[in-house]
Amino acid sequence: MASLSEEVLLVVKKVRQRKQDGTLYLMAERIAWGPEGKDRFTVSHLYADIRCQKISPDGKAKVQLQLVLHSGESTTFHFANESTALKDREAAKELLQQLLPKFKKKANKELEEKNRMLQEDPVLFQLYKDLVVSQVISAEEFWANRLGGVTNTDPAQYKYKQEVGISGAFLADIRPQTDGCNGLRYNLTADIIESIFRTYPAVKQKYNENVPHNLTEKEFWTRFFQSHYFHRDRINTGTQDIFSECAKQDEKGLKSMVVQGVKNPLVDLLSLEDKTLDEGYGVCGAQPSTSNSNRTVKESSNYAIIKRFNHHSAMVLAAGSRKGETPTDQASETSSTDGNSRDSDFFQPPVKKVKLQEEYEDLQQENRPKTVPLNLKKSDRYAHGPVPLQSQQYTTSQDIINSVNYIQHEMANYKPNLTQVLSSTVATSAISALSPGGVLMQAGAQQAINQMVPSEVQGELKHLYVAAGELLRHFWSCFPVNTPFLEEKLTGHLEEMLQTAYNKFHIWQTRRMMRKT
Amino acid sequence: MSDMFIFMAQVYRELQPFVAHPEGGGHGVLEMPSGTGKTISLLSLIVAYQRAFPLEVTKLIYCSRTVPEIEKVVEELRKLMEFYSKQTRESNNFLALALSSRRNLCIHPEVSSLRFGKEVDGKCHSLTASYIRAQHHSNPSFPVCQFYEEFDAVGRQVPLPAGIYNLDDLKDFGRRKGWCPYYLARYSILHANIVVYSYHYLLDPKIADLVSKELAKKSVVVFDEAHNIDNVCIDSMSVNITRRTLDHCQNNVDTLHNTIHKIKETDAAKLKEEYRRLVEGLKEANVARETDVYLSNPVLPDEILQEAVPGTIRTAEHFVGFLRRFLEYLKSRLRVQHVIQESAPQFLKDIYDKVCIDRKPLRFCAERLQSLLRTLEITDIADFSAATLISNFATLVSTYSQGFTIIIEPFEDRTPTIANPVLHFSCMDPSIAIKPVFQRFQSVIITSGTLSPLDIYPRILDFHPVTMASFTMTLARTCLCPLIVGRGNDQVALSSKFETREDFAVIRNYGNLLMEMSAIVPDGIVAFFTSYVYMENIVASWYEQGILENIQRNKLIFIETQDAAETSMALEKYQEACENGRGAILLSVARGKVSEGIDFVHHFGRAVIMFGVPYVYTQSRILKARLEYLRDQFQIRENDFLTFDAMRHAAQCVGRAIRGKTDYGLMIFADKRYARADKRGKLPRWIQEHITDGSLNLTVDEAVQLSKHFLRQMAQPFRQEDQLGLSLLTLEQLESEEMLQKIAQVAHQT
Repeated sequence: MASLSEEVLLVVKKVRQRKQDGTLYLMAERIAWGPEGKDRFTVSHLYADIRCQKISPDGKAKVQLQLVLHSGESTTFHFANESTALKDREAAKELLQQLLPKFKKKANKELEEKNRMLQEDPVLFQLYKDLVVSQVISAEEFWANRLGGVTNTDPAQYKYKQEVGISGAFLADIRPQTDGCNGLRYNLTADIIESIFRTYPAVKQKYNENVPHNLTEKEFWTRFFQSHYFHRDRINTGTQDIFSECAKQDEKGLKSMVVQGVKNPLVDLLSLEDKTLDEGYGVCGAQPSTSNSNRTVKESSNYAIIKRFNHHSAMVLAAGSRKGETPTDQASETSSTDGNSRDSDFFQPPVKKVKLQEEYEDLQQENRPKTVPLNLKKSDRYAHGPVPLQSQQYTTSQDIINSVNYIQHEMANYKPNLTQVLSSTVATSAISALSPGGVLMQAGAQQAINQMVPSEVQGELKHLYVAAGELLRHFWSCFPVNTPFLEEKLTGHLEEMLQTAYNKFHIWQTRRMMRKT
Repeated sequence: MSDMFIFMAQVYRELQPFVAHPEGGGHGVLEMPSGTGKTISLLSLIVAYQRAFPLEVTKLIYCSRTVPEIEKVVEELRKLMEFYSKQTRESNNFLALALSSRRNLCIHPEVSSLRFGKEVDGKCHSLTASYIRAQHHSNPSFPVCQFYEEFDAVGRQVPLPAGIYNLDDLKDFGRRKGWCPYYLARYSILHANIVVYSYHYLLDPKIADLVSKELAKKSVVVFDEAHNIDNVCIDSMSVNITRRTLDHCQNNVDTLHNTIHKIKETDAAKLKEEYRRLVEGLKEANVARETDVYLSNPVLPDEILQEAVPGTIRTAEHFVGFLRRFLEYLKSRLRVQHVIQESAPQFLKDIYDKVCIDRKPLRFCAERLQSLLRTLEITDIADFSAATLISNFATLVSTYSQGFTIIIEPFEDRTPTIANPVLHFSCMDPSIAIKPVFQRFQSVIITSGTLSPLDIYPRILDFHPVTMASFTMTLARTCLCPLIVGRGNDQVALSSKFETREDFAVIRNYGNLLMEMSAIVPDGIVAFFTSYVYMENIVASWYEQGILENIQRNKLIFIETQDAAETSMALEKYQEACENGRGAILLSVARGKVSEGIDFVHHFGRAVIMFGVPYVYTQSRILKARLEYLRDQFQIRENDFLTFDAMRHAAQCVGRAIRGKTDYGLMIFADKRYARADKRGKLPRWIQEHITDGSLNLTVDEAVQLSKHFLRQMAQPFRQEDQLGLSLLTLEQLESEEMLQKIAQVAHQT
């Protein structure tokens, strides 16, 4: 069982377990103990299974370490090396202390995941109840098969898990309160600080530079709220403000964003006009100059506010979607699959193509034949209806008229040949075979059973069936038997399990029979 | 759907005359809400005409406003043609193409990488001008545009194969053949069945003369999105001259002088040749190559004199001297201390008295400069924009005595201490620029989603329409909800009128309205203000009052600025925020770029709030002059025009949100003046008919209640079946007797 590639982190010799001397190994994923002189571990626990460790009080004669598992079992190790017992135990404890939290998270995650799966999937839950709760199969084995799926789907699921964005109003949430003596109090929470950092990377940088070398955290935030950076409507005058640099950086960022331009040609105001008038033409050609020299103080402060809001919103938006740059990719993916592959597509942004071809969804699918939506009152009647419709050859009315004529003609000339008819017994049996419940009317009979059996019995039977199926799945998954483990599983408890399942079924059957009679 | 057929019946009525009397024809004004199939109805009807009467309707010229709109029209056309070939099972030989500026069509690797249209034009010119090509001929290392050379060599012999060519298709075709798509398109519009381009190409004489001069007379012209067509006309004929322009022009004139001097020493024959040509009065166009005609006459074709250039400016030196004198005169005029307003004849008289410049040489100024620039082989024409502007001004002012005014303002009104003299040469009569279009083409259709009140357009554009109709939408559900909010919760009247616009209570109530709306409207909200200044002030005081912070709790805020690039970015972020579910508010300005060209379909605009009535800035002297002119010439009262102008912009703003029948949106008019009949009555019919008495003069709270109800109703699933038979017809339904009668009836009524 011990795979050699495992990394051994710590080896402690002379550790007793159940009065037996042995060696304790702490490995990357599990803790194991083997008796002296043997190369097998008799005790092996995955860290993930360990709930906590306990140690004996310092004054005690026996230096012990107890591991309590999630299942409630516990294992006790006695460190027996007289001289270094305490040290050995400390080393093991320290290491475990470091390792356990890591695995705890994972274990919790796994537990959560299992829980979620059970909640989401009622069939699985029922199966779990049937197999695990009634102890046909151990929980581990039950999950061993499932969790393969879990761990596989996991990363994908977590990848698509949405990053929690930032509230647009996080700065508004910092309500300043007057503290009564001409001062203001700002309440910052870890969330808000996180938001500020994510939205304004420049501030984070400043924070990293200055805290705690130059400023305490409190001072830093005090300065932040006093700064012109925070109050954008005040005009920046002082240069000793550490945040003035941030403002410049932001400005730069904004500029570079502007210079980059926009991807969607439909919102690019610069390229909207086909032929702009040359400078000097037009009625209001002489624009009020936007240079700062001409602006009054009030105007430029207003302008700063507007800029700030645009920047703030852009940053909040960017912080929310910084992780996955998926939206644009997806857009291009969907557009490339719209079946529109004229060869001019290759050199233009696909977004444009889609947007240009304005689709009115209400005008689509016009050429498709109109369908009547299926309105089912009893869906299982639909699922196994009395007789599956044969592929019939529809006849035209002309055919029908012809055949009617033909039959009339035949009938006119009909003379019964009474010597060659069936005997009456054969005829009765044929009739009975063709009437409902007869041999030839199997389809109808099936339905009858379906309705005859009470739904409660059906449910129970279904559960048994599913449980048995699950066991069989376990059974067949053991083939081909190429490891001793599988062999053991097959010969050992799987057989047992099948037996249990069979017994269970048998019990149920007899119970039902008893009740019936 | 049903609307489309009624609409088509109307267009049909208009086109009918020239089947009966080919010389007749007629013009029309049609209003139809966007997203109801206006474009496709027009296209399909006119195409049907073209197929039925190929000799009567030879060409369709479809003019739209922005590049994306142009491209959309072509895509619609593509669908129509695909449908045709599917139904008739034969490929039709229609040629349809879009034409745009070099910036959108150039495929030259170096030139097309430039960002601004002017740069692209200049660079293209420096590679394709005839003398450049001549130099290349003698010295092959001289750079020319390979694509143009290729096109010039072979491109003209074979016409563009039939098909639908959007801008990108043209570029693609050009790449494959190695031909210049721009010149290919310009050449091909002459024989194309359908041309789609910007209406500048037809209205601005400077461009129209180059591009659209030879288009067939038997064309049908459609101006789509034409609610602002009068301003386009006016803009294309107006000139502003500042001190900076004059300084640049001075430099240009010096450069000209030096170049002439140099050439005289090296190649005097060239100047002599030019002189000889001018004496003979040869029209430049006759000798010029198409690539040279970079500058063109600013006046309309019928005003251009067919005479020889007068002797006083025939030699190059004399002309430069003439320009100098003219320049000095303008400089002296800009040195005034008070505002001057005068008419063109007054100006001409003054210039004759002061510097003895006659009217006639002034009229030839633009043409003479053009000739000179070509003779001097000046490559970088963009540098000479100032001189061109001045000479265009000279030609315009001496050509038109009516419909223009000259206003010289020594300073801006806001800053009386800073001298910034401007000479406005302003066109007041939009009919001047559009007149040749009406005269030349047999049928001109002016259409838009918002053209109400319809009767004013024929008056200001001076034409007689055959049909005038405003269509409404047949809706399976009332998907638009216009609300007029006239009061705040504290009963303070809401209005952006001058006396109360700075009122604290009004601003606060506007803020409340936006805040409440941000809490109940999903995804995007667009709010329009009456002007930039007003918006800046309101945003500042909302910021002080903490209203914006509260709004931020619900949605992100983006604000339009005067910088187009910055606004584009804000717009993109706004759409991103709507897309990812966070929701956003865009604060924008009526008459701004956003209100004119950007659509807010579906969740990009679930509500539009119009804060105030977007009156134009009435203190402007140019506007005053125009109002006066309208009153004197067209008997349109000032107030009528101002209200008309304000309401068409308001309608344009709120109309941004509804772009189809499956779309839905709130339209909130936040000003009590909207409740008055004279304002309300000027809104488009399709908005007007949904304004009930119950939605007039609401308080903020009442509006919120109504909106909640509306939004909840609209959020229910809406399927195609719900629309069938009402706003959507199947073929059987369409062919039913009842429907046909209805269409016929409506078509006769209006």
